[in-house]
Amino acid sequence: MMKKITAIILMSISVIVPVLAQQSEQDNESVQPKVRFAPLRIYLDSGNKSLAAYQFELKAAAGQIKIVGVEGGQHKAFKEAPYYDPAALANDRIIIAAFNTGRELPTGRTRIATIHLQIIGEAEPDYELKLTVAADADAKEIPAEITFEKGE
Amino acid sequence: MTEKKGHFDEDLDLRISPKLSEDLNTLFKPQFSVPPELDRAIMDQANRRLVQRHWRHRIFRHISFWRVAAAAAVIIFAFSLNLTQKPGPTTTSSFIVEAQAVDIDENGRVDILDAFKLARHVEFSERTEKKWDINGDGLVDRNDVDLVALAAVRLDKNKGVL
Repeated sequence: MMKKITAIILMSISVIVPVLAQQSEQDNESVQPKVRFAPLRIYLDSGNKSLAAYQFELKAAAGQIKIVGVEGGQHKAFKEAPYYDPAALANDRIIIAAFNTGRELPTGRTRIATIHLQIIGEAEPDYELKLTVAADADAKEIPAEITFEKGE
Repeated sequence: MTEKKGHFDEDLDLRISPKLSEDLNTLFKPQFSVPPELDRAIMDQANRRLVQRHWRHRIFRHISFWRVAAAAAVIIFAFSLNLTQKPGPTTTSSFIVEAQAVDIDENGRVDILDAFKLARHVEFSERTEKKWDINGDGLVDRNDVDLVALAAVRLDKNKGVL
């Protein structure tokens, strides 16, 4: 009889505990922070030199973001989606790169990529953007300035 | 309610008359006498069988109950672990690992310029080296360029660049 009662108690615990845990998870999920989506436009200014290749890294210095998509640039030389690690999606850090072996290349300030972000919470995120390399049509490194603009 | 009572009359008199009882006794009375020893032996055997069956039933019930309890506990535990959850995407391609070692311009790092330079070699039919055949298909082509470019943007290789 005692064993039967013990078994019933153990079974009840093993049923109730996961149910309660799931319920508390659902409760937590119901108090979700505010989520919004916004694009981050990346610009590169290569001055009077033509831009044939670039690589940069972006990460969130503050705030909570998730990268949800990457789009190509403004000039037809960089219109196609650039190279990036698929593991960067749903992450807060990404390395993006592209090149074009053609002769029609952009000069001056041009939008090279747009990164679509999921911003979690009320806080406005801060971004760290670093240009790894920019090069001209002869694959020679050129000085360039990288900037970003937040979109709505 | 009245109709129901008509069908199932609980006040039905189940007593029989002494005459009917006597007649039934006469009709079904055994024609021979059973020795009391035999009667006792039959009763003893019947008792033993009943007791055995009772214990077997109890033991079986006991074992079944624990088996069911254990199985239920295992199933619930497995569900609570959320075994259906899948790991996030990772880039573990062996080709990427190989591309990591390819430094086309031999400047000590793999970046987009390695891919760009290799692409120029491929497109303008410049000289190509056998070691640039990253995917090992016997050709140095756009597929090898893509692998070098993917190696350049890999997250774990460049961890902590900023």
